[in-house]
Amino acid sequence: MAEGVCLERGGRRVLKDVSTAIERAQVTAVVGPSGSGKSSLLRCFNRLEEPQEGRVLLAGEDTRQIAPVELRRRVGLIAQMPTIFPGGVRANLAYGLDDPEDFDLRTTLESVGLPGHFLERPSDALSGGEAQRLCIARALVRNPEVLLLDEPTASLDRDAVRTIERLIWDLAGRGLTIVIVTHDLGQAGRVTSHVKLMVDGRLTAEGDVGDVEQAWPKEER
Amino acid sequence: MRAVVISLALTAAALLITRIQSLRIEPEFIVAVVRAAVQLAVVAVVIGTVFDHLGLSGLFVLVMFAAASVTAGRRLHGVKGALRIGATSIAAGSVPALIALFGLGGYELEPRFIIPISGILIGGAMTATTLAGRRIRDEITSKVAEIEARLSLGVTARFALRSYLPSGIHGALIPVLDQTKNVGLITLPGAFVGMILGGASPVEAAQVQLTVLFSLLGVQTMAASVCAVRVGRSFVGPGERMVL
Repeated sequence: MAEGVCLERGGRRVLKDVSTAIERAQVTAVVGPSGSGKSSLLRCFNRLEEPQEGRVLLAGEDTRQIAPVELRRRVGLIAQMPTIFPGGVRANLAYGLDDPEDFDLRTTLESVGLPGHFLERPSDALSGGEAQRLCIARALVRNPEVLLLDEPTASLDRDAVRTIERLIWDLAGRGLTIVIVTHDLGQAGRVTSHVKLMVDGRLTAEGDVGDVEQAWPKEER
Repeated sequence: MRAVVISLALTAAALLITRIQSLRIEPEFIVAVVRAAVQLAVVAVVIGTVFDHLGLSGLFVLVMFAAASVTAGRRLHGVKGALRIGATSIAAGSVPALIALFGLGGYELEPRFIIPISGILIGGAMTATTLAGRRIRDEITSKVAEIEARLSLGVTARFALRSYLPSGIHGALIPVLDQTKNVGLITLPGAFVGMILGGASPVEAAQVQLTVLFSLLGVQTMAASVCAVRVGRSFVGPGERMVL
């Protein structure tokens, strides 16, 4: 949940008094034209950005009161371009874990639709869609409460896009709260009926895809 | 004097090459040559006096340290607190080595030892600081998305940056490692040549040169490591965030 969030970067106000609630165990899509502040809002949710005004709450707790390391394990963020670290698939999944033996990496990998034997693969042998699913699995290993997806299919082909969209559905069905940022209204409609429109740093409409389409600024269509 | 004129002619030839190749470093080239000539001329005049007074030689070392810090700081533009990082890295590398060499009786505490040894070690620390700092700065600023992906997995900024430091430190140490490996085979380094020209025996010259090379390995490793860590930290803001 965001309350009166204002973010200024490089002398420009990127977010202007943004207040919104995110439903638990649901998919929420934040849509809007390029540069409207969608990604910045996501970055405030896991404190990669610190708003100058307002606050972000996680299950009622001000995120500034939660250590960033703990917050980011509870609120995973997946970027637009799949970012795979050097090393194999196993090393990527185990990255930063205190004791990787305690985690069932194979099951996590399978939960995003990748075969368990991929664990032993070098990560540069993955396709774009597989790499993005590995990124999602890497966040899921930490058992997050919320998953933030920033244009997660922007660099993928159509088949991979559909696979990721099915995965988003599936993860929400398992109780995960998901916020997806996309400029593609069609995609928002395919993954959820909770859509929020962001224009020029403000949330200007919310509802289903039809409601938001009506409110989409004509000059940006 | 004739040798200086001949070497200056070679420098002019090098300048011509940079012009033909359109490298656009002619101004820096000329400034370097003029600065070297002026600085060494001043040093030649001053050093006679300084060599007679221990206190003055200490002051001279401080001037060398300040000049090295400012140079390193300028080379690390784009890094927050570059001057401070340059100074602490150079100090971290050179001060312990100087204390060890002079405190444990390696050399007598006399200006004729203090000034050249300090100059070589502070200069070496400055080179390593500049090379390591620039590499790490470039590595971090070009891989912000990857570093933020690491932070987003709930690791500390120190842990996230860990992967980017070794290549910068290693890159900074390549020149001194090559110099140490190839000494006597490909190059005859400055201290050795200087002592031979000054009339010392080759064995004495070799001993001093080995001391310099071994000390430089330690000095540069320490300076590059401290610089790498501090440059990395300069890009981290409160709340384990990247700040550019």
